[in-house]
Amino acid sequence: MKSTPHHAAWFFFLMVLPVILIVSFLVVYPTIKGVVMSFQNYTVFTFWRVRFVGLKNYVEIFTDSDFPSVLLNTLIWIAGSVTLQLILGFILALLLWRPFKGRGIYAGFVFYPWALSGFAIGLVWSWLLNGTFGIVNDVLKKLHLIKENIHFLSDPNYAMLSVILINIWYGIPFFAIMILAALQSIPKEVMESAMIDGAGPVRRLFSIVIPYIKPTLLSSVLLRIIWVMNFPDIIYGTTRGGPAGSTNILPVYMINIVFYETNFSKASAVGVIIIAILLVYTLFYLKLTSYGEMEF
Amino acid sequence: MRRHKILFETLRFFLLSIYLIFAVFPLFWIFITSLKPSEEVYSYPIKYFPSSPTLSAYKYLFSFANFSRYFLNSAIVSLSASAVSTFLSLLAGYVLARYRIKSVYWILLFLFFAQMIPAYLIMIPQYVMFSRFGLIDRLLGVTIVYTGIGCAFSTIMSRGFFLRIPRELEEAALIDGCGRLRALFRITVPMMLPGVSAIFSFSFVNTWNELFIAALFLNSDSKLTVPVALYSFISKAGIKWNVLSAGLVVALLPTIFVFAIAQKYIIAGLTQGALKG
Repeated sequence: MKSTPHHAAWFFFLMVLPVILIVSFLVVYPTIKGVVMSFQNYTVFTFWRVRFVGLKNYVEIFTDSDFPSVLLNTLIWIAGSVTLQLILGFILALLLWRPFKGRGIYAGFVFYPWALSGFAIGLVWSWLLNGTFGIVNDVLKKLHLIKENIHFLSDPNYAMLSVILINIWYGIPFFAIMILAALQSIPKEVMESAMIDGAGPVRRLFSIVIPYIKPTLLSSVLLRIIWVMNFPDIIYGTTRGGPAGSTNILPVYMINIVFYETNFSKASAVGVIIIAILLVYTLFYLKLTSYGEMEF
Repeated sequence: MRRHKILFETLRFFLLSIYLIFAVFPLFWIFITSLKPSEEVYSYPIKYFPSSPTLSAYKYLFSFANFSRYFLNSAIVSLSASAVSTFLSLLAGYVLARYRIKSVYWILLFLFFAQMIPAYLIMIPQYVMFSRFGLIDRLLGVTIVYTGIGCAFSTIMSRGFFLRIPRELEEAALIDGCGRLRALFRITVPMMLPGVSAIFSFSFVNTWNELFIAALFLNSDSKLTVPVALYSFISKAGIKWNVLSAGLVVALLPTIFVFAIAQKYIIAGLTQGALKG
């Protein structure tokens, strides 16, 4: 905890100051302001005569008959997406584990969705899944898997399933990248000695590989949950929460209030509810991964 | 044992091939659609290849739909926001990696919580703040917001890269009478160029793809960024899917390009305890 003469305190604070100012002004202050706004009556029309309205916005949200289904949809969205992203990402990482010629190029071709805009991906898939001219319907019919076209994104029975499938397509690379890196950190000797002991592939997977990479699995899943919860982009590119509210998750619910109702205060109240969930979740995350005791 | 191995390798090859098709096909199909003449887009049965591939959708996009303007706007906004936030995160990340004082812990915790807050969640208060400064419907306003949302995360990432570079080298330069900043930018930063490119790419990808803030802040047609333009396309009646597909190809290419050149470093950034997907 001592600083050398070369490392003066003023230099430290001068260097971190821009970032701290920017983050305070553009992230922390708006967050606090958002909390305040959630108790006011900001709409596009009442911009200049704002007053406090107490819990009115919260009452409106909690008595909204759509709200329970929004919460449920959010849970289904998170659980469905993260579970399958994890399983398929894990399988992909295992397949890529042992080096082969061209592995780097292959990884480039399958990991690229990470860099794509979720919104644009939503649009891409809404063309592929189109109920009349979509190629997915065409292929499924040619394979005799279906007889009638499925209206993937406009049928309330299929919409949530479809957006989750798109999200899985989008999220596999993240898990594959994280898990592959963890797999490559397993010492060769550990795997070799298990092989000499005669442990089969399944046994090696469950008694060596998974325990070894458990910290990575845990932290990736925990981070991904928070990230997927706050990921309205794909849904905004496909269904915008519809049909009949079947894909309406919390962030989409909030953004629709901003764009269509232009009720800024009510949207802020939804934001505060999301922040509260995030905060509780983050503390839970810190506790579980002991990121809080990070070294420095 | 040997037969097992061949069987396993065949299965692996088969599964990897299927996944490759699954990963690449959607964009391939959008590309094919963008080359179709308008009358073939909605033809039935579906044409798997356009009978006479044409660039007319792209021509329409850039001449009538003003797409070059949107592309330029997106480039200005995301390149400048990423450059500024990368630069500032290098300054902060450097001292956060080198100093061993209690403040480091508190600042990191502050940044950790700040980067947990998703951008869309605070766009309304930002909108209200920025309307006071007359920064609504101006690219500068969106650029400032974008600089702010990436900063915390970039700093955490940049600190991680600095931690891996031995401090002895800079110290030698300092003893030689080199200024601190000069030692940083002449000696340390050149050594972590992969890290710098990862930080910049992360930030570029995030800002290039951002829709909601831009859609809220920008209204006039000449100010729109690419995602907002696509968003307004789908609300317009009569937009053809070959034109929209061409727009998607153009919208997706820059980040694919960035990913292709910086892939190795991005993956390093993702796996070195970086926190965002």
